[in-house]
Amino acid sequence: MNIKNLFYLFSLVFLIGCAPQPLFYWGDYSSSLYDYKKSPDEKTLAAHEKSLLDIIVTSPKKHLHVPPGIYAEYGYLLINDGKENEGLEYFDKEIVLYPESKVFVQRLKDELARGKK
Amino acid sequence: MKTLYWIVLASVLTLWGCAPQITKHEFAPKMYDQHPVSILILPPQNKSTAADAKEYYSTTIAEPLTNCGYYVYPTEVVNDVLKQEGLFDTETMLNVPPQKFKEFFGADAVMYVTILEWNTQYLILSGSVTVKIASELKSTTTGDVLWFYDDVVSVNTSGDSGGAGGLAGLLAKAVTTAIKTAATQYVPVARDVNTKILIALPYGKYHPKFNQDAQTMIEKKKKAEKNK
Repeated sequence: MNIKNLFYLFSLVFLIGCAPQPLFYWGDYSSSLYDYKKSPDEKTLAAHEKSLLDIIVTSPKKHLHVPPGIYAEYGYLLINDGKENEGLEYFDKEIVLYPESKVFVQRLKDELARGKK
Repeated sequence: MKTLYWIVLASVLTLWGCAPQITKHEFAPKMYDQHPVSILILPPQNKSTAADAKEYYSTTIAEPLTNCGYYVYPTEVVNDVLKQEGLFDTETMLNVPPQKFKEFFGADAVMYVTILEWNTQYLILSGSVTVKIASELKSTTTGDVLWFYDDVVSVNTSGDSGGAGGLAGLLAKAVTTAIKTAATQYVPVARDVNTKILIALPYGKYHPKFNQDAQTMIEKKKKAEKNK
């Protein structure tokens, strides 16, 4: 092996080491959330919902799990929109995929029930 | 052979720098004892002069933290729940014992973020955006600090467009600098800081290298001064 090859190999290893394959696909999450926070209105909220849905739809296509919290956040927004049953389904998906979310999601459900009383 | 020597030497210098090095395990042994799975990120404490820093920073942290292998509670929803519980400001939250967050959310650890710097410097012909962050993880079972780290990134936003010389050119350049600096959102800079900080965090359960990084070398840090 000559030095040039060794150099390429080293560079490759170095690059891989620095930029590991992300575990999750987050799409436009942080930029749509940023836009929403910068000017919270119906339009920016709808855009953020859309990027959540994109993550949910695209992740399996990339053979990745939906990232932690995404199902719960999407479900939460749906419930705020009045789509309660659909929202609750996403809450359950969060628990199935990430059992450690159970206490938190249950809390969200309890609050929803409490709000209805 | 001599060339190889230099390459190796240069690489070693690049990788190690001059800062003292330590293994992740030595730096944060409690992370390897307790292996927290789920992390609750509290709204950051803002010590910078930018009032909106807090809101914007919180859009950047969940993604990289999940890519380190942790379950991260959705920050927006968490903020709403905290508000419903009457916890509006970060200072109040700091006084809540970490154990409470286990009870509330089921979280294994809480991440406390402090924004130390979030500012723009305008000079006539150049500008820069600086973000400095300190993070700390506390166990919700023992209340102990499991891990901490901090870092800073400064990005030059000079209008480097060349073009006309003379006074007109100089003025044009000054205008470009101001525009570019104003338009450069802090968010990408904050993301870079997150990357630099999270490199020092042991991988979580969902990462393929979970529990295999104990001997990874990182730069040794002392706890950042929070009251700068």
